[in-house]
Amino acid sequence: MEFVSSDLQRRLRGAPFYAMLVAATVITLVPIIWVFASALKSNKEIRENALALPQEWRFQNYVDAWFGASFDQYFFNSIFITVTSVAIVLFLSSLAAYSFAKMRFRGNQMIFFVFLIGMAFPLSAKLGPLLSLMYELNLANSRIGLILVYVAGSLPFAILMLRAFFQGFPQELEDSAALDGCSRFQFYLRILLPLSKPSLMALGIFVFMGTWNEFFQALLLINEDAKRTLPLGLNAFQDEYFTDFALSFAGINITAVPVIIVYIMFQRNLIEGITVGSVK
Amino acid sequence: MAQSLTGPGGRAASPRFRPDLMPYLFILPAVVIYLVFNLGPVLASFVLSFFKWDLLTPTAEFNGFKHYNFILNDERFWGALSHNFIFLGLAVVIPVSIGLLLAVFIYEIRRGRVFFRAALFLPAIFSGVVIAYVWKWIYHPFAGVLNPALELVGLGAFTQSWLGDHKIALYSTFIAYTWASFGYSMVIFLAGLQDIPTDIFDAARVDGANFRQKLFRVTIPCLYDVFTFVVTLRIFTAMGVFGVIYILTGGGPYYSSDVIDIYVFRMIGNFEMGWATAAATVNTMIVVCLSTGFIKWREWRSWSS
Repeated sequence: MEFVSSDLQRRLRGAPFYAMLVAATVITLVPIIWVFASALKSNKEIRENALALPQEWRFQNYVDAWFGASFDQYFFNSIFITVTSVAIVLFLSSLAAYSFAKMRFRGNQMIFFVFLIGMAFPLSAKLGPLLSLMYELNLANSRIGLILVYVAGSLPFAILMLRAFFQGFPQELEDSAALDGCSRFQFYLRILLPLSKPSLMALGIFVFMGTWNEFFQALLLINEDAKRTLPLGLNAFQDEYFTDFALSFAGINITAVPVIIVYIMFQRNLIEGITVGSVK
Repeated sequence: MAQSLTGPGGRAASPRFRPDLMPYLFILPAVVIYLVFNLGPVLASFVLSFFKWDLLTPTAEFNGFKHYNFILNDERFWGALSHNFIFLGLAVVIPVSIGLLLAVFIYEIRRGRVFFRAALFLPAIFSGVVIAYVWKWIYHPFAGVLNPALELVGLGAFTQSWLGDHKIALYSTFIAYTWASFGYSMVIFLAGLQDIPTDIFDAARVDGANFRQKLFRVTIPCLYDVFTFVVTLRIFTAMGVFGVIYILTGGGPYYSSDVIDIYVFRMIGNFEMGWATAAATVNTMIVVCLSTGFIKWREWRSWSS
């Protein structure tokens, strides 16, 4: 009997928290739901009543944005740039982090510190010389150039995170692999990477989100329409079709939906990637 | 000879005659890309802010503090900087408090923790461009939803030109920023809460502490280091805010919501690289001083108390 009443008490105590959380969730999600609903309305409907739900679902807006406003091209650019960047970041940062975490060499601490410094600067600190450099190297207005800039931007955090993770690996593992005639690169490829899958996932999702969403550097480095990523395309589209509300809402959703899907699939990995920095 | 005797397992045991190049080979590609496309331009920005530029090309002509002299006498530079500081002052209070409270609420409930965390974090996953356009349409004078919604609930007196009024444009952009950033504080606080041993909260409950006492006497002191991290993160995002404001107002009207990163971007766009690099350098020094100063102060405070 006592057990039951304490359970009830506990539930009652939770009620105000639930009420607050539900209210906060509604306020947070309403703008997103409204954008999704508006993308299915016609321009006339939007102008006449912004609050109303769509009278009939107009998927034509998406078709128009995709084919008519080159969102297909932006989408391809975003996928290509993001996936390539994530792959390169994971490869190079795990290689370097393995070296920093497990190998003794002159300058280990110092070079690692030089990487850490990179996280202390605001983005604008490098933009001017970066733009001249990219023109100098013929990498301005280039997807490859943007990938290199994104990789360079993600490396410090990636190396910091993986180094901490690799340091937790027992030395005996590497020693016994070495006794079996395993070279250090083989150890990295065959043992270290497979054992680090959860960390690589968390890091990969985190870098994916940041790269997919990046706007400032892309805006500076890319001018050509055919090379724009989704955030750039959305921005340019807005200038061009200033009053086409319905198309604009569809464009917002095309940019947002991929991250929502990745988020739903890998929510835990992403939040792990974000909170890992706070733990140490 | 010594090498073959130690064998592959005893690498570190004896001094080597041939330096081991493997560790360097492993870090080399990362170091090169990082130096060329990240740290190099940062250092170059600092050095080249003292030189004359020919459009996009730096020249060898030393220019002294001329660029600094210009930007430090430019009222738009100070205007932009002061807006960053307003943003910072609001950002360390509002999204951080909302994030803390929601984290505590989620921590207190039993069922639905994962759902609420996921739903409340959702806006934080979007690009600044998406966030800005969502709010651009919310605020829009004709197609927008905020003014009609206010009228609907009888608050018609509050309808206004959210982005067109120079007195409130900056604060309207701050609301969009808050919507997209409290989630970060929330998930970090929640992770911190889950690291605190539960018997501390049990003890507080047994002693009859109410919600407020528990929050201020137990939770917040226990999250000291997490607070340092969350606020440091806010220093970086508030001083480096760009996309949301660039799209919502472009820094306007009449520069009333201008911030440093938009100022720097505008200077680069005008091929005024000297001014852009000087402004970026001043901003960098401010951000580095603020963040390291804040972290040192927090360390000193926890150490001395």
